[in-house]
Amino acid sequence: MENVSQTEPPTASTQEPIPIRFSGQGGEYFRIWIVNLLLTIVTVGIYSAWAKVRRLQYFYRHTELAGSSFDFHGSPVKILAGRLIALALAVGYRFSIGLRSRVTILVVIAIALALPWLLRNSFRFRLYNSSWRGIRFHFRGSVAGSYRVFLLNGFLTLLTLYVMAPFMHQRLKEYQHDNSWFARTRFSFHAGATEFYGIYLLLLAAIVVFAVVIIGSGLGSGLAALTQMQRHGGHPDPRAVLRAIIILYGALILTAIIIGPVFHALITNLIWNNTRLGEHRIQCNISPIALVGIGMSNFVLVVLTLGLYTPWATVRMARIQLNAIQLLPASDLQEFVSAEPESIGAVGEEAATAFDFDISL
Amino acid sequence: MVNAKYSDGRSTRIHAVTLSVVGGDLIVTGEDIDLRAPFSEVKVDEQLGRAPRRIRLTDGAFCEVSDLPALNTLLASTTHRDGWVDRMQRHGPLVFGACVLCVSMVIVAYQWGLPWAAAKGARHLSPAIGTALSAQALKALEGSVLMPSQIPEARRQAIGSAFRALRMPDGGTPASELLFRRSPQLGANAFTLPDGTIIVLDGLIDAIGDDRQILAVLAHELGHAHGRHGLQMLLQGSAVGAFLTFYVGDISPLLAAAPAAVLQSRYSQEFERQADDYAALLLLHNGMSPALLADALARLAQLRPELSNGGYLASHPSTDERLRHLRALAASSTAN
Repeated sequence: MENVSQTEPPTASTQEPIPIRFSGQGGEYFRIWIVNLLLTIVTVGIYSAWAKVRRLQYFYRHTELAGSSFDFHGSPVKILAGRLIALALAVGYRFSIGLRSRVTILVVIAIALALPWLLRNSFRFRLYNSSWRGIRFHFRGSVAGSYRVFLLNGFLTLLTLYVMAPFMHQRLKEYQHDNSWFARTRFSFHAGATEFYGIYLLLLAAIVVFAVVIIGSGLGSGLAALTQMQRHGGHPDPRAVLRAIIILYGALILTAIIIGPVFHALITNLIWNNTRLGEHRIQCNISPIALVGIGMSNFVLVVLTLGLYTPWATVRMARIQLNAIQLLPASDLQEFVSAEPESIGAVGEEAATAFDFDISL
Repeated sequence: MVNAKYSDGRSTRIHAVTLSVVGGDLIVTGEDIDLRAPFSEVKVDEQLGRAPRRIRLTDGAFCEVSDLPALNTLLASTTHRDGWVDRMQRHGPLVFGACVLCVSMVIVAYQWGLPWAAAKGARHLSPAIGTALSAQALKALEGSVLMPSQIPEARRQAIGSAFRALRMPDGGTPASELLFRRSPQLGANAFTLPDGTIIVLDGLIDAIGDDRQILAVLAHELGHAHGRHGLQMLLQGSAVGAFLTFYVGDISPLLAAAPAAVLQSRYSQEFERQADDYAALLLLHNGMSPALLADALARLAQLRPELSNGGYLASHPSTDERLRHLRALAASSTAN
């Protein structure tokens, strides 16, 4: 495999950092979201592919770098095809798991074999259909690479009871970012597995602390009451059971709202701070505390409005993350641009094969 | 005149240009650029919020415009008309209408559409699916939750033959298989699997005692089998789950799980009422009173007083309500 990482880091930039700016607004996005929702319901889900294109276009076009916005060019028909495939896989999986026979094993093997290829094509679709200043991104990861990253590493992760999960995550990001291109310039990824392990260990420590607090707060007695009932028959004290359920559910929500965003902020910062586009570096500085605050208020407001706050929540999430990213150009951006003449043409066409579609929902 | 940024689609270099329309042609002039194209050949992107709009030329080049009001003035002088979805998104009253329509459609679908579709679906689904699901459920429960019955063989045969002798309202005898099991966890209970197999637990037989009342409970379970409630619950559960995941899933999958359970319980209350009505019909058809089921339920309620006040969250309607309904049915049948 070609090694793209340089032996010496790019020289310190004399250029001003160029920030990414997201200018979307909740009220504006609400209009698009509600019309999307209506048409999706009316067409029993078929319009959801067109809705996805509108949604992505809203977010891409409101994201600006150096005075120009990004754009999304995906075809709704291909997204619909991808969704039908994903649905067929999910239904096939659910149904065969229920059967518990030899068919189950065959279906699981078939899905495991198809998935890496599908995911690779999905990356390709997403990048090929993303552009800035009219120039497309593209993904050139090999099929063999996707099997190694998803199947082999996934299997190793299960085998080692998730001890290798951070390693798999690092390899996945390496596969994604090392194989991404903008025009004729390649992205490169420089974070090692050790750095991923560091953040995952933090996550593990946080979960252990939470678990101790939760068990200490009386979940144990509720669960004990349940176990006792199961063993000796009779009926548990409904209040103890209810308390156990509230504590368990509350703990899950708290975990998702606090630990989830902190982990997400740390890992996203790690990934983008170690990604380069050619000689140009990227800086990502999402504040974990701000992300927790937004996650919490989003959660409360979405629940209180029975979901109608969703578009505002999505916009706030996008804003805090996108506005935390800066491009640190190694050379003048205009120079970078002129160094990339006739950039895409043939390369772009090659990526637009018949099997590109988007299976991400 | 509208200010724009021209890109040729082949490099990231941008050119500051101005746009104007003269005689049906788009004119682009500025840094190194002097273009004229028939307006009918260019494509104008829809307006999404305040995002810049692109005017796409046929060769992959485009002009990015940030001054939206100026662009709209320019477009007004051309043949260009925004798409209907585009106009709908910007039209306040239509957006409000979409909002109202969405909420009412979700309510209608939940209240009537989904139960109707699930009932239809359950009738048309291959019986093999019900059989497979039931076999799988039984396999999972036997030995862990369900133990062999300890009711004497003679008693079981008596209940079984009375059950098989029932005449169904639509003719024939019960198609359901009756299984006797014991379960310390589930206590006094009886339930119906998706293929119609009825499992009656020792706890229920001991708690009720009277064979005619036990038969009334089995008639209630036959109501579940007749309405294919097991399969309907499964279909509705999948649909509710899928919708909630689609609706709030990208905020938090946890958000989707809790309301799903609450929304499901209303359906199961409805099924209990339907099964009660069917049982009343079946009992009358066999010369027995629906009051037998009411008596059986009352006895079970005494056993588990904490379950008798079914609120909105409970899967069974409150026992009081069911007793009143069944006794009213019994009274009206004797009055006729």
